[in-house]
This record gives sequence, structure tokens and C-alpha cells, in this order.
Amino acid sequence: MVLDLDACIDSLFQRQLLAESVIKEICEKTKELLMSESNVVHIKAPVTVVGDIHGQFYDLLEIFKIGGYCPDTNYLFLGDYVDRGLYSVETMSILTCLKLRYPDRVQLVRGNHESRAVTQTYGFYTECMKKYGSAQVWHYFTDLFDYLTLSVVIDNMIFCVHGGKALELRSLFDSGIKQQTNVFKELFADEILIGPCYSLEKPLGLSPSIHTIDQIKVMDRFKEIPHEGPMADLVWSDPDPGREEFAVSPRGAGYTFGSLVVEKFLHENGMDHILRAHQLCMEGFQVLFDDQLSTVWSAPNYCYRCGNLASILEVGVEGERHFNVFEAAPENERPTAEAQRTLFSNGIPTSLYGNGVGAGAAINGVGGNDTTASGFLNPGGIDSAQDTIHYFL
Amino acid sequence: MNSEEYLQHREGLTTSHHDWSMIQVGKLVEGQTVVKVIDPNSYKGLTLVLPLPTCHSDANSSVEDACEVLLKHGISSAPVYDAQRNTYTGMFDYSDMMSYILLSLKKMDVPAEDQTIGMRELIERTNNSQNVPVKMISVAVMDPTGNLIGILSQSFVLDYLANHLSEFPQLQPVMQQSVEQLGLSGSKVLSVNGEAQVLDALLLMSKHSVTSLAVLDEQGVLLGNISMTDIQHIMKDLRSSWLWLSCFKFISNIRRKRGVETGEDQYPVMDVNLKSTFGYTIAKLQATKVHRLWVANDSGLVEGVVSLTDVFRVLSSLLDS
Repeated sequence: MVLDLDACIDSLFQRQLLAESVIKEICEKTKELLMSESNVVHIKAPVTVVGDIHGQFYDLLEIFKIGGYCPDTNYLFLGDYVDRGLYSVETMSILTCLKLRYPDRVQLVRGNHESRAVTQTYGFYTECMKKYGSAQVWHYFTDLFDYLTLSVVIDNMIFCVHGGKALELRSLFDSGIKQQTNVFKELFADEILIGPCYSLEKPLGLSPSIHTIDQIKVMDRFKEIPHEGPMADLVWSDPDPGREEFAVSPRGAGYTFGSLVVEKFLHENGMDHILRAHQLCMEGFQVLFDDQLSTVWSAPNYCYRCGNLASILEVGVEGERHFNVFEAAPENERPTAEAQRTLFSNGIPTSLYGNGVGAGAAINGVGGNDTTASGFLNPGGIDSAQDTIHYFL
Repeated sequence: MNSEEYLQHREGLTTSHHDWSMIQVGKLVEGQTVVKVIDPNSYKGLTLVLPLPTCHSDANSSVEDACEVLLKHGISSAPVYDAQRNTYTGMFDYSDMMSYILLSLKKMDVPAEDQTIGMRELIERTNNSQNVPVKMISVAVMDPTGNLIGILSQSFVLDYLANHLSEFPQLQPVMQQSVEQLGLSGSKVLSVNGEAQVLDALLLMSKHSVTSLAVLDEQGVLLGNISMTDIQHIMKDLRSSWLWLSCFKFISNIRRKRGVETGEDQYPVMDVNLKSTFGYTIAKLQATKVHRLWVANDSGLVEGVVSLTDVFRVLSSLLDS
């Protein structure tokens, strides 16, 4: 059974869902690929960096329109592909296919929403149930999330992560800077040593602090994101321009980190910029700490009502950074009309498997769905909030 | 306190505080604005204490109006002022009122088409002559002439403590003890299954006189928290149909809504581990602005809870020893 990725990608560009069995296959193959990736992937510019997408599929298409299509443009996605938007499944499907098809031109970093607990609360689980009739696809994708890398470094100069900086044990003691109102040092000294997840994971010799990039590399990332610890910090933390050091985050996971933390990290690792996503920016991006850190946000008119702009960051070979700002795609207003047009204009869809065998297998319910895996459009029609499932095999 | 203890706690002439138990409460409530709402009918007068310098005056307000004003400003209780006797007679706690109303609703078996009922109608439908139990969760702070200058709530005090902790070295030892060591775990936790209805959760809260429940899955793993405050918020937005949702769906809705409003999604579960330190727990309570953190073990099973009340109980036990 040979998977025809190009056919999958074409279908997805027309917002056609892949069969459950196809999802299973692409997830399996992508996990194999990701397994050999380090927790810190090193890449070279030019590359276009994308922030939170949150299932806003039409805006992802917009990103390809303005940033260029794979493989002509190299892409680095910083996580939060799912939840909240209406098309998390299509978004995750197409990104997985693109990664599988062009592994060296597409990098996928894990965001805090690439987690079982979060996707059950914020929409992805519900969308999978609605579109596939079971939680199987959600299981395939959430298992895949466990394999996504945690960070990327561009040209040894730009450190890219979803949330932010993880708690540094040593910097708190070494910094020698007494903060009168910063009780962190006093409060957290012992907490770090006998903290919750640290006591179970590895012996304390494997330091839980993220002081240097090398410490991220030795972490075991192949699991659900824990409540606490350096892995949680990397995907949950936020910068706080009003502070210099760390503080507990109002989000209930991760920390907020300030200017001294950023300076120290960049200095110790010989880099000049931290690039992250994770926070909504009305202007599409935000630059902090004297251009030492930026946030890129790529979901315009977030949740279809915030009215914000979005951006993608184009990093050039000389290290130059340019934020390409854009608005919500007009197709967001009429997704179903668009889908219907392309659906019927293509005639009979081609098989997604080279030899056609897979198509037969899927029709017979290999994916585990009886009624919905028929491959036919539901004659009941489509409405924008509750799209019916249409499979093409 | 005997004279020896008293001497130990004496501040003396100083402009900075070294003994945490000697901080003046007046200092803590600086910046609050006291606003009066007078009602000549059921309540002699309601004094609303607002943390923001906004002004609101409304003569001839009814209980329904008072409830709406409380909701609008996000306050759950207010001292009741008797204008005739010029004294404070007690606290009006909105959550008690809400429990009572919703309990009545449950008993009434509201049909589906009426489930989008608005707040005012809710109050009208219930029998006003029933007694509403009152709980004290705040302390009124008066000046020497008997005027109310502010309300000392637990959150206020916690905020102050967390921000000035480094100034009180005698608190360091307790701050470094774990939640487990301080006896804040190992007790039975009141909980509700994620699939139970919100109304059932409310009944359970009323029955046990608590304002919050842990929401668990079948295995007992913590999924989140449901509280009276959440229910008040949905009433404010007139989404009373949410009362009939499952608890998990309800709290997910609350989380999603908050995330869009703030542009930042929160972690679904607000908890600390058994081994987390007391100091870390206080910092997390202050940062997340929740009133309690569940205590979970490494498997995610809930083993206790640390509320603001528990924090103050631990601290006041230090005073006694």
C-alpha cells in the first residue's frame, strides 16, 4: 500500500477530509520521522516562521498564498495548530502531510495545545468526534503530538519555541542580583529541588533547569506534556516586560520571565534572539526586550471575532527579520460554498493510494467507521457550523 | 496574648514591617472606594465596596437590582448597613442567594423551553420569605468613628503577603514545607463527575456548604474545578441554559470564554502536587487568582485541596505556637 501524499495534500487544500485509515497511516509514518529529530532542531535561513493557527484553515491557506507554497518556501511552525477554530482536523492533517512530504523544508514545534488534556477542553476532541464519529482520529493525532520537537534554532542565532523560557535553577543563585520584592529565590529554592514532577522523572543529576540548549537536548519529550517541569515551561511560559526574573504564571502552568532571564539565556548560548508564539497580538506580532524577543501570532480575527491582525516572520539568510502582516481570509465567511464548488468541479476523486487497494480497504470500513466511511457526500447539505463529513479515498 | 508574647510582637518605631502579624489592616485596604446603595424596602441599605474608583448610586433599588449590581461588579458579598440605626448588621452573600434560587429551580423541574430564564425572573419565581443562610468570608474594616473604610478579603491579604514575603524571614521555614507535610492532603475531597449536570453540582455544593467542587473523570483523575463564581458568571451573561450541561462541558465553556477574552488560554486544571512547597502554592494562588488549588498526586488523582482559608489557618497556627 503506497500512500500518495500529493493526492492527500491536494484533497486537503480543497478542505476535503482524509479517511480515518489514511490519517492513521500518515501519523504512523510521521512519528517514525519525528523520532529521530532532536529536542532542538537546527535549521538554516531563509525560513518563514508561523505562530498559532488554531484550526483557522482558511487563514493557513492565506499564509501559503502570501508566504509561498511548500517546498518553494521553507516553513517553521511554532505550534498550536488545533483547538478553537472550526478546521483543526484539516489544519493538522495538511501540516502532517506536508511534513511527511517535505521533511527538510517543514518543521513542526509542539505547542501547549498539542496535548490531550487541553484538546479535550478547547475544541479539537469535539471536532474529531463530530467529523469522524469517534475519537480514533483524535487518538492518532494526540499520539503524534508526543513526537513533535520542542524547539528549533535558526542559524545558531534565533532560538524558536512555542511558549518561552523554562525555569533556570542556576541563574537564580548565580545572578547575584537581589530583588527586594522578588520572593522567587526564597520561595522556590527548595521547590526546584523537590518539585513535583522532578521527583518522579530522572535522578536530580539530570538537572531540570534549562540553562543551556544542551539541557533541552537531553530531555525525554516523548510523552504527554506534564503539568510542571521544563517541558511544560517551554510550551506554557510568557515573557513579562515588567519584570526581570521569573514568576509563577497566571495561566496555571509555566512561568513568566523577564529581561534578565532573556539576556542571560541569549548570552550563555551565544544567540541574539528568542522567537515564540503563544500569546494573542492585536497587531499580529510583538517585539520586546530591546528586540531580543518577538512573538509571532498567525490567527487573524482569532476565534472569528477578536478582530486582530496576524503575521508570519520571514527570516533572511543574513539574519534579517521581517514581519509580513495580514488580515483574515475572505473565505472564512463562506467556507461551505467554496467547498461545494471544488467538490463537484473535480468529478470523481482520485484514489489516495497509488494502487487503489487502500481505497477499497477504506470503503470496507478498515478505519472503523461504518456509516460515515461511505465516501459519499451527505445529501442533507452543509451548514457552516456543523459540516458533514465527506471522505475521498 | 500574655505580656511576654506581646513584647515579641511589638513593632516599635519603624516604617517597615518585620513582623507580619503586625501589619495594619487599614494599610491593606487603602485604595478601596466605598459606595452606598440605599434600599428602603427589604434591606435598609447595601454598601458595596469596589476595588476600583468607580461611582455608582442608585436610590430605591430592589433586591433584584442589588443582585444585578453585585454581579456586574463581580462582587459576591456586601455588608448590610442599617441607615436608621447607623450600624452594620451583617453580610449579604450573593452566593447564598444563588444557591437558594437554584435549589428552588431544581425542585421546580423547569421545562426545556423555560431553561433560558433570565436572572430577574429567577428571583421572582422563588419564595422570598425563606431564610437565606449567611457566611462570613470578609471582614469589614472601620475607622475610629465607625465609618466603613474597606473590606478585608482573603485575596487582598494573600496578595500583600505574596508581594512582601521576603520581608518576613520568620515565615521562610513554613514556606519551604510541602503541602503534604502541612497536612493539606489526605482528606476527603468533595467532587462531582464530569458527566453530572451543573445543577447537581450546585445541589452538592449547597448540601455541604462549599463553594467549589473538584471535577473528576471515572478514574478519579482531576479534570478541573467547578465553583459558585463560575455559575454567577453565566447568570450574568444570561446563559442559564448552561445549568443543564454536564460539568465538564460547562467548565470547558468557561475556560474557552476566558481564553478569548484574555488572549491567553489557561491550563485546564488548577492544582499543585503533594510535594509542592507552601510558598509555591501561595505564589500560584496569587498569580492565578483562584480561591483554591487542588492537591494532586503524580497520577493526577486528587488528594486534597488548599484554599485561601487553609493558607490563613496555617499562618494563624504559627501565631498560636
